[in-house]
Amino acid sequence: MRVHPARVLLHGDHRSLLRQRPERLRVTSAPSLHPVASPTGPPEPDLVRIRDLIYEVAGIFHPDSKLSLLRDRCGRRMKELKMKTLREYLECLTLGPVRQTELIALLNDIAIGETCFFRNQQQLDALRHIVLPNILRVKSQLPQRRLRIWSAGCSTGEEPYTLRMLLLDQAHALLKDWSIEILATDLNERSLAHAKEAVYGNYSTRNLTAANRSKYFLPQGDLLQVRPAARSNISFSRLNLSDDARMTFMKGMDAIFCCNVLIYFDLVSKRRVIQHFFNNLLPHGYLFLGRSESLYGVSEDFRLVHLPGATAYVKAERSLTGVNTI
Amino acid sequence: MTTAPVGKQVLLQRLDGLRQIPTIPAVLAPLLKYLQQPVEQLDVKKVTDLLSQDKSLAAQCLQMANSPLFGRWHKVESLHGAVVSLGFHRVSDIAMSCGVLNMLPGGKTSLDPVIFWEHSLGCALVCRHLARKINLADPEKAYLAGLLHDLGIIVNLWVLPQEFRTAYDIAKAEEIPLHEAEQKSLGFTHCDSGRLLAESWGLAPDLIEVVTFHHFPEKSSQDGGLVALVHIADLLCRMSGLNYGYDEARQVDLFEDEGFAVLAQSCTSVRDFDWARLTFELDSYLEEVHSLVRAVYRT
Repeated sequence: MRVHPARVLLHGDHRSLLRQRPERLRVTSAPSLHPVASPTGPPEPDLVRIRDLIYEVAGIFHPDSKLSLLRDRCGRRMKELKMKTLREYLECLTLGPVRQTELIALLNDIAIGETCFFRNQQQLDALRHIVLPNILRVKSQLPQRRLRIWSAGCSTGEEPYTLRMLLLDQAHALLKDWSIEILATDLNERSLAHAKEAVYGNYSTRNLTAANRSKYFLPQGDLLQVRPAARSNISFSRLNLSDDARMTFMKGMDAIFCCNVLIYFDLVSKRRVIQHFFNNLLPHGYLFLGRSESLYGVSEDFRLVHLPGATAYVKAERSLTGVNTI
Repeated sequence: MTTAPVGKQVLLQRLDGLRQIPTIPAVLAPLLKYLQQPVEQLDVKKVTDLLSQDKSLAAQCLQMANSPLFGRWHKVESLHGAVVSLGFHRVSDIAMSCGVLNMLPGGKTSLDPVIFWEHSLGCALVCRHLARKINLADPEKAYLAGLLHDLGIIVNLWVLPQEFRTAYDIAKAEEIPLHEAEQKSLGFTHCDSGRLLAESWGLAPDLIEVVTFHHFPEKSSQDGGLVALVHIADLLCRMSGLNYGYDEARQVDLFEDEGFAVLAQSCTSVRDFDWARLTFELDSYLEEVHSLVRAVYRT
């Protein structure tokens, strides 16, 4: 198996201590005016090195078109650390005494702004048009018409509620007579409390269409609360993905969503979590990661599949019919 | 409404009777021939003189030469500057790319020329990138193969515009691959029509193979490496925003793909290759390709 030499080790258990509520973080996430944030010309070699380091260690890739975003995030950290050059910052990330905590701080900055309703529309479209019909085709041969989806690392709840809304839209069509169960877990109690409260500000709801806004939300002052229908069939609970004993109880999943969570884990912990996901997924199940997040070098049990505008992972052992299409 | 497939015979007849068979722009044939010489024998002035004969092509080339997609980050003002800073072969890639754009029929077509060109250019860039990464084929050859793989669509747009529209509409409505819809409604695919044109142009045998077999790489008679490479790049483009203007409603497992098996015969490292990263890198082409194509198309 090809393995990334993980140069920096992070531990899943620590990540949540550094993770803050996105709504709160947003206050500090104004565009940086730091001098590094002036992208012209070819990508700076040190920025490319930081990009490659992050991909190697965390599995999240910034294509050239997103390098300016990474540059901005690095700039923000550099400002705080009073560093002037990317070279200095790269050295801090690779050689410095605080490299582990600094990498987590940078990853936190990278993951900011990721959380919102209907965050990855192409992934959701692929779920609706390709993945759900595939799953239903297999499961319709079984006596129990039940769908189990797990949002692993659900943070403040936007992801599981989005999934619920997408499934509710199909309640009288594709999912007629199907029962739905969404399990939403996170390590952070505060995030879970927010999720259960289901009240959100402009930032989280920025991607909502007018139709979804009125169908699934109730105004509450300047904020929006998720309507009871979209809160049904979701159970929130605290779970540490590194807790082997409890992870074995998450069986029988049709799909697992784990977006921008594994980036905080070291290779060993990541492999253990992925092994649990593998055991918990049904043979026809799908694992979805965040946009530009990869399992390369982490697991050979899962195989990358391409969906229109999105990627997902399926169990490598599963046999496919037809040339490459199901 | 279903109509009987027109069949290859009709295609041949129409191609024979057509006065305006799409041709490589006059400038490009001597240019490509000239560039086949060893690099040390090439003269910058000769290349720029050849290109300058077609003012519109020259302007398009200059526009493309200024795109980061071709490695240029600082503005070049002249063809001379483009050849000096990008090199002969990169400029030849650019000229050929513009040539393909200029081969498309004008007026209202079923498949928007801008979308077709975005797909061809995107596929060419992915082929070049992939060839470099897996060290399989000459990257410039891979670029040309990616650029020309869908020549047959140009033929179909010229020769059978109505029938091709029907096939395209079926593909779009049923969200199926275009060649499957062509087979269903025309009785042949753009691979067949592309082969006719590629042969009549006297393209190199390996390029003819790519045009003919890029949807069926396992049928390729020669070393199928280049054909399979184009097949995979084409597939990745169609599953991304560099498709034919619609999403194919399907799931692609590269490792189960027949083309992938052919590619793996030529290059075993593809099994360990980081396909996820390539997919993410492809994302970075999207915006550049979209804006470049629109800018050049207006030139």
